[in-house]
Amino acid sequence: MRSESEPLPATQSVCPVCLRPLPATIEEQGQDAYLVKYCPDHGKFRSVIWRGNPGQELSRWSRPKIPSRPRVPATPVERGCPLDCGLCPDHRQHTCTALLEITWRCNLGCPVCFASAGGPARPDLTLPEVESMLRGVMRMSGPCNIQFSGGEPSLHHDLAALVALAKDMGFPFVQLNTNGLRAAREADFAPQIAQAGLDSVFLQFDSHREQPYRTLRGQPLLQEKLLAVERFVTAGIGVVLVPTVVPGVNDQDLGGLLRLAARLSPGVRGIHFQPVSYFGRFPAPPEDQARITLPEIMRGLEEQTRGLVHAQDFLPPACEHARCSFHANYLVNQDQSLTLLSEQRACCSGKVEPILAREGADQSKAFVSRQWRAPSGCDCQAEQRHKTFPANKDAATLLPMAPTHDAEPVREPAAAVPPASANGMAWTPPENASTEALPLDDLDRFLARASTHRLAVSAMAFQDAWTLDLDRLRGCCIHVATPEGRLIPFCAYNLTAADGRPLYRETHGIPSLA
Amino acid sequence: MSTIRIPEADAAGWRCRSCDEPLEPAPVSLEYLGSSFNVELPACPRCGMVLIPEALALGKMAEVERLLEDK
Repeated sequence: MRSESEPLPATQSVCPVCLRPLPATIEEQGQDAYLVKYCPDHGKFRSVIWRGNPGQELSRWSRPKIPSRPRVPATPVERGCPLDCGLCPDHRQHTCTALLEITWRCNLGCPVCFASAGGPARPDLTLPEVESMLRGVMRMSGPCNIQFSGGEPSLHHDLAALVALAKDMGFPFVQLNTNGLRAAREADFAPQIAQAGLDSVFLQFDSHREQPYRTLRGQPLLQEKLLAVERFVTAGIGVVLVPTVVPGVNDQDLGGLLRLAARLSPGVRGIHFQPVSYFGRFPAPPEDQARITLPEIMRGLEEQTRGLVHAQDFLPPACEHARCSFHANYLVNQDQSLTLLSEQRACCSGKVEPILAREGADQSKAFVSRQWRAPSGCDCQAEQRHKTFPANKDAATLLPMAPTHDAEPVREPAAAVPPASANGMAWTPPENASTEALPLDDLDRFLARASTHRLAVSAMAFQDAWTLDLDRLRGCCIHVATPEGRLIPFCAYNLTAADGRPLYRETHGIPSLA
Repeated sequence: MSTIRIPEADAAGWRCRSCDEPLEPAPVSLEYLGSSFNVELPACPRCGMVLIPEALALGKMAEVERLLEDK
């Protein structure tokens, strides 16, 4: 049994003030854990990174991986992590998703934004620039998943052409990271990008209530968000709801959001929570009360849904570092109850066998591509028509528990083909063997429902200058492609010092430090 | 949850090698990663050994496993 405050194995971080790489420790206190580091010039920093659940303490939350180095490193190891990103030969995971910021323009001015919106706008990437970047991604990372991001990428004038280009180049899954406003305001936008081949949208969706939008986005947006969902689903694009979770703003909305996602299944394919992280300019370190950690979201989902899901359902990832995310998959039943589908591994016993990182990345790429696109064989558009969106109410009241249209396809049972032999059994052909069709049975009904009405529930914790753990960063699988042909782990790309100076991204008119 | 029946042809003609008894349909609970399905499968009435017909294993059961694949 571990004693209180016993440190986990040492790691590395950076000084939040000067971004100098530093040794760091993780201290566990009961079920909570803190990242602690000391800069000779700027002093000691201690930030909460985990407020655990019983059995889900940080030291028990693991999914060990045998590192897979980049096939084609773009930068040498010179100054040490995180100053050599490109990827460098010391990186430990392949690209699951390559992210391209195709525009820095935005039609919102959110106080919570790690993208470059609000700063001096870099010109939109051109079609040839994007083509060159995608070729680089293909050369370095193979046919990974692609996410077009920004800024607000729906504002890019050639978006449909960019989507079609990525698909034509052989990327199997292309997603748009959007606030949804353009889809809500222009009826032909969603059909156009669906036609171009877009598979999925990662839709900023902070609450089923209006107030959090006013706080986080500066204006009421719920009605437009719901209209965007309807239009994307109707166009045949899979929708993932993405709430940014901020303590005191929408951390009590986890349950309402999950229920809404279930109600909008199967058009809504998943809900992906992102605890707030702190990029930009901060005169003082963000207080621990301003942070919400992954176990708190797991626990919040259980408590706020009164047990519709359970904290213990959630598992660490196969692809990224274990401390970066959790996930579980559910069957959405006709009464909107959820049945856990994920395999319950011995995730928290500390006895999990390491997997090859590249196999985890392949698993994750395939899962995301399968789950986050619109399901085949589902009449999502017809089902969507049963879900109405009256104006001026919170989603909790405006989406009645209308029975979903359950068109279960009639399947023929598989032909019976007895084996030539089976262990402990002997078979002789029957005289009057028949394979007459049988009515649908429980297994058929389960298969029909589960092939469409699956909901992925997940969360990913980004790291800022106070919480950055270089062990996690080296295992990152979400890489931002740059016009210079580099792939930079997402949290390194967005990292800023306390005064707002960026490590990599040249935003806010300030040169990068790396 | 109601019981699943498999085609008659799958059950007919099989005998238990140990007991030399003809297999008979019997209720069996299949568990997949926390979900359970009640199935009627050929089983030896003496020792209880159950036969999973190949069609079921390669058909619906394989489909269920694919649907439960995770990341």
